[in-house]
Order: sequence, then C-alpha cells, then structure tokens
Amino acid sequence: MTFAISGECCSDASCVAVCPMNSIHPSPGEAGFGTGVSLFIDPRTCIDCGACADICPVDAAKPADRSAAEDVSRNAAYFAGSDPLAAMDLDTWEPPEYQVWGGGPRRVLVVGAGPAGMYATRELLLRTDAEVTLVDRLAEVGGLVRFGVAPDHPQTKQIIDTFERITRHPRARWRPGTTAEELLGRGGFDAVVHAVGARRSRRLGIVGEDSACTAEDFVAWCNGRPGAVLPVELNGPRVVVVGNGNVALDVARLLVSDDERLRSMDVAAGVRRVLGASGIREVVLLGRRGPEDAAYTESALQELQAMSGGRVTLKYHATPVAWTGADRTPSADRAASGASGAGRGLLLDGGELISAGTLVTAIGFEGDPIDGLPFDSARGTVPNVRGAVVGRPGHYVAGWIKRGARGGIGVNKACAQETVQTLVSSSRGAVSPGS
Amino acid sequence: MDETAQRLLGSADRLSRDPETEIDWDAPVGDGYGLSPEWSTLYGTSYWDELSVDQRRELTRHESASVATTGIWFEMILQQLILRDIYDKPPRTAEFQWALTEIADECRHSIMFARATAKLVEPAYRPRLLARELGRMFKTVATGESAYAAILVAEEVLDVMQRDWMRDRRVAPLVRTVNHIHVVEESRHMVFAREETRERLASAGRGRRWVSALVIAIAADMIVSSMVSPQVYANVGLDVDRAVREARRNEHHRSLLRTSCANLMDFLGSVGLLTPAAARVYRRTGLL
Repeated sequence: MTFAISGECCSDASCVAVCPMNSIHPSPGEAGFGTGVSLFIDPRTCIDCGACADICPVDAAKPADRSAAEDVSRNAAYFAGSDPLAAMDLDTWEPPEYQVWGGGPRRVLVVGAGPAGMYATRELLLRTDAEVTLVDRLAEVGGLVRFGVAPDHPQTKQIIDTFERITRHPRARWRPGTTAEELLGRGGFDAVVHAVGARRSRRLGIVGEDSACTAEDFVAWCNGRPGAVLPVELNGPRVVVVGNGNVALDVARLLVSDDERLRSMDVAAGVRRVLGASGIREVVLLGRRGPEDAAYTESALQELQAMSGGRVTLKYHATPVAWTGADRTPSADRAASGASGAGRGLLLDGGELISAGTLVTAIGFEGDPIDGLPFDSARGTVPNVRGAVVGRPGHYVAGWIKRGARGGIGVNKACAQETVQTLVSSSRGAVSPGS
Repeated sequence: MDETAQRLLGSADRLSRDPETEIDWDAPVGDGYGLSPEWSTLYGTSYWDELSVDQRRELTRHESASVATTGIWFEMILQQLILRDIYDKPPRTAEFQWALTEIADECRHSIMFARATAKLVEPAYRPRLLARELGRMFKTVATGESAYAAILVAEEVLDVMQRDWMRDRRVAPLVRTVNHIHVVEESRHMVFAREETRERLASAGRGRRWVSALVIAIAADMIVSSMVSPQVYANVGLDVDRAVREARRNEHHRSLLRTSCANLMDFLGSVGLLTPAAARVYRRTGLL
C-alpha cells in the first residue's frame, strides 16, 4: 500500500528524519530541496510503517489508499528516473553531521513569530540552554502561516499548534504585540535573530498600479489579519492576477470560489459577502514569462485547474504596461486610449487590452530595511554570511529577510538551523541595540 | 486503532529482520568506534581532549555496550507492560496480534543487543540498583497512557542516537547493522505507542493526566540517567569522579539529548502530558 505525500507538504523534512528506510526525498542538502516543491515517498522502498504520517505537522503524508490518485502518481513519478536507494546499504544514507555546542549565548531575542522565527526559537531551545525572548508585532504566532496561507488550505495552518507549543517552553518568553525596539532599548541580549520576513509586495512599476490590489493585502484581508482592509473594490466579471507563483494561484482560487465553497472555509462573513457581491466570473492569470519559468508547483496548478471549472485562463509572455480598470487618472486614460482606443483593463505592451474590473499583483515579496542593519535594496534582504549580519556582530537573520522571498514554510527550518549554528559558534558578549 | 494495527502488521510482513541470520556473528568486530564519537558523554570536554584516539574508541565501545544494556532492560519492562495490557483482549483483533508481534520484535532485539555487547567489550553492564527496582515496580503496576508513553520515551531517545550511529562510517559495522535493525522495527513500535497513548488519554480527566505526566517524566529521567553507567569510565581506566563531573556538565551532550527528544516533547505537548510539573522534571533531566 505505502504512503504518499500530498501537495500540502510543508517541506520541513521532519518526515525525512523519521523514515527508517530513507524513502523520502529530496532531503535537506539534496538537489531540489527548498525550491518550493513538496517532498515525495519512494513507493518502491516504503515499508508502510506510518512514521512519516505520525510526525507530519500538516497531515500531508497519508496511506496511499486514503490519498488522492494524483498524489500517489506524483510520488511515484518523482522517482521514475532513478534506482531505488537501498536502505540496507547504510552507506547510501547521508552521514550524520555534528556541530559542537557548548557554552553559547545566555539571552537571545528573536524578532518575528512567523515560521522562520518559530523554527529559530525551537532550534535555540534545543541547541543551547539560552533563555529566548520571542516578540511579534501581532498578538499571535504564525505570521504568514496564519495570515498569508489561503483559507482553503487549512491543513497547512495546523503547524500553528506546533508553534504555539514552542512559546510555552520553560525557557521561552513570548511577548506578543511588542516591537523589537521596546526590548532592545533595555539591552541585555547576547544576540538578536531578526526573522521579520519580507512582507512588502513587489511592484510591477506600471501606470495605474496604485489602484490595483496586492496579493499581500488580499490574502491578509481573507484571513482576517487585524487591521487588514481590502484597498480596492472587487469588480467582475473578469479579474487579472499578475504573477505565476503559488500565491497568485491562491488568489485565483479564492476569487473563483462560489459561496458554497467559501462557506466551507474559515473566512469571515464579511469577506464572503464582498466576494459574492463582486460578480467575478473569470480570472486571467498572467505570467510575464513562459510556463517553464513559472514559480507555481505542479500540484498547486492541478488543484486550481480541478476546482476552477475552466474559469481561470493562463496567459504567458505578457508584459503589462498600464492599468486602467479602476483608475480615472488622465495619464492612465491616455495610455489606454493611445494604444487601443478605448476600454478599461490591463494594457499589454503589444497593444492588447485585457478588459477587467480588478487587478491583483502577486509577483513576490521583498523585505523592508531594519533599523541599524545594512540592507541590500536590490535583493530586498539584509546582507549576511550564513545568517550572521555583515558588519553587525550579535545580529543574525533568518527566513525571507535572510535569503529572499522564496521557499515555503518548512524550508525555514533548515534556514533557521544554519543561522542558529552560526550564532552559537560565533556569538560572544552582549549586543548593542540597533542604532 | 485496529486500522493502525492492521497496517503495522502489513508493514511487518513487508519487512521484518532477523538478526540471527542477517548478522554474521562469527565475523571479527574490527576496530571501529562503538558509537559516533560526538555522542560520547565526554566529547567536547577537556577530559576528551586528553584522551588518546585508542582511549576514545574504547570509551565509545563501552558506552555503546552500556546503552544497549539499558535498552535490554527497558525492552524487558515493555514486553511485560504490553503482555499485561493485552492479557484479556480478544486474540483475533489486529491490535492483539500486533502487540504480540511487537513483543516478538523486542525479544529478538534484546537477544541481538546481548550478543552484540558481548562481542564489543569484555565487561557486562547493568542499570543501577535504584533503576532496576523502580523498573520492577513500574512494570508491575503501570497501565494505560503511563505504560505506552514510557515505552515511547525509551524508544524515541534511543532512536535518534541510533540513526546517527548507523549512518556513521567510523562506527563498527556490527553496531551499525544492529542499530538499523532496531530503528526500522522501532519506527512501527513508536507509531503504535503514540496511537495507544492518544487513545488512552481521550477519556482522561485533568487529575489523571497530571499524575500520568509526572510518572512518565520520572520514568524518562530514570531511563536517560541510566544509559551510560559510571562503571564505563572505570573500565576504560579513567578517573571516574572527574569523568562523571565533566559528563554531567557537558552542554554539547545535553544539546544532543534535547534534540533527540524534540519529537517526543512535541508529542507529549500535543496530548497534554507536558504539564508544568512534568516540564520541570524534563528540564532537570536535560531533555527540555
């Protein structure tokens, strides 16, 4: 029968560590790990013990007879071109890796309770005997898992339970609704791990973009993040979503969900009402490059196509130049009328106009500068060497602010492990607050 | 429960291992380490730095034998716990049959560990008297979630270290194979123990949960502190007092232990067995 991993996989590789047959790949360190694709179980070597399902924080590993047929075939297909790894030959396993831990920091501040901050906290609690103070500007742990993951993927949110348990560790001090500055000013920390994510949406840089909605705003609104409002009106019958990542697909899925489907999700009645009243019938998903460059995962695309009933159109190699859907500014009107004469919607560089009532941009995220730390504005990250901030001893980064806005929830585990490893081997003395 | 047990029986059918035939018991052990040196209780201390390579190798072989002996001790306890638990259950159920399969596995493992330790080092090890007597009491009275979660503790702690040792080419091939056999079969046992623990706790009230959590934590303390006998240092010719002192303060070793217990602590937390009182015990033992 064997087990299979579904597309809901968080890739935190807890399953890899418990599989007694080395059947789960790509493992951390192997090619393909951390690129956003899920993990897979080799049905040729799986002995069906269920250890992976037992440990999976998002319930993505299931017995094959309870998995979707696509998931079973996706798992088998991943290994089609390779010979099965013989677990009995112990040299086919990666040798263990050790880092000598001893001494290390006494008090560490972790800024941000999203996945990167939570995994960093967990790693610090395991690897050191430090007291870890964890802060987040929001009142709850989870970050993008709570407020960025589409509400129709509730399984993914299960990992929040794990995160909440971390905050109850005897050496953890959880300070919700607090900023790092409030605590850093008082000093007393040996190290600071900034795991603040990359929450600013990238911009297309086209005329009229100010009256479009970013994926960040849209998903935060759907998930009821405190203070989140939808910045534009949702107008049908057609909406253009620019972007080819899983977030763009999340948005498209939510936009074409009927009321019945919305009712099955954990979304507020107000959100359902607005979506229902929008009259949206169709979504055009626009990729600026070809399908070979698309960042979405195969399973996410399959899911979208299966649920949308043909109401989502994929369009590639399209470069938008102006958005005139809602904007009434003269410049946008001129841009639109100059190219195609009339109409409202998204104007492409070839002169084609996709008429639409709302534009959502989902072309990725970038980080904001952190006070007192250097910033690489081209990459939207804090310059660092294996997590240690360049030129700022005692300051570390983890997650998207460290490596750029790529990789799903679980990839942050390996990322945080690297940062904590660097921290423990190099942290000495108390740090000064951000200047 | 029966569905899980049924699947585990199927899995055992697909791969069960027989140390009797799989291991060449007549082959020489060679001169590998008994466990990954980083897992030695002294690794990272100043005492370790003073040891010659031969002494380090010898130390790890004795430590490995001592850990295996603790494994045998606990496997005997858990065979009795399971046997008592299923004593009057209907034999035709998958749960019953899986429980007996597990006892058979553990029985084979204990024989395997016993033979391997005899090949590895001359002296025989035993858990200390207090642990043996508390174990005697525990195996006679423990029931329900206390029994199954305690089984889980022993299995999980051993599991992570054994995964490291089995993949480590510096470790003697005999130890590597023994560990892999144990890891494969224990993975099924841990699934079963978690499922049983969850099920038994479903109807437990706050008071019972509090008591069970504390009993399990004390059992965990007993298991972990029994793993490497101080006699190990004496048999390798070290200063026992100094070795015990440095091992106890070895933050590197404590961090490895904490890491190997991470999944266990997460599970205990998720089923409500990480009460403040239990957490204090785990913290003192160095597992949290």
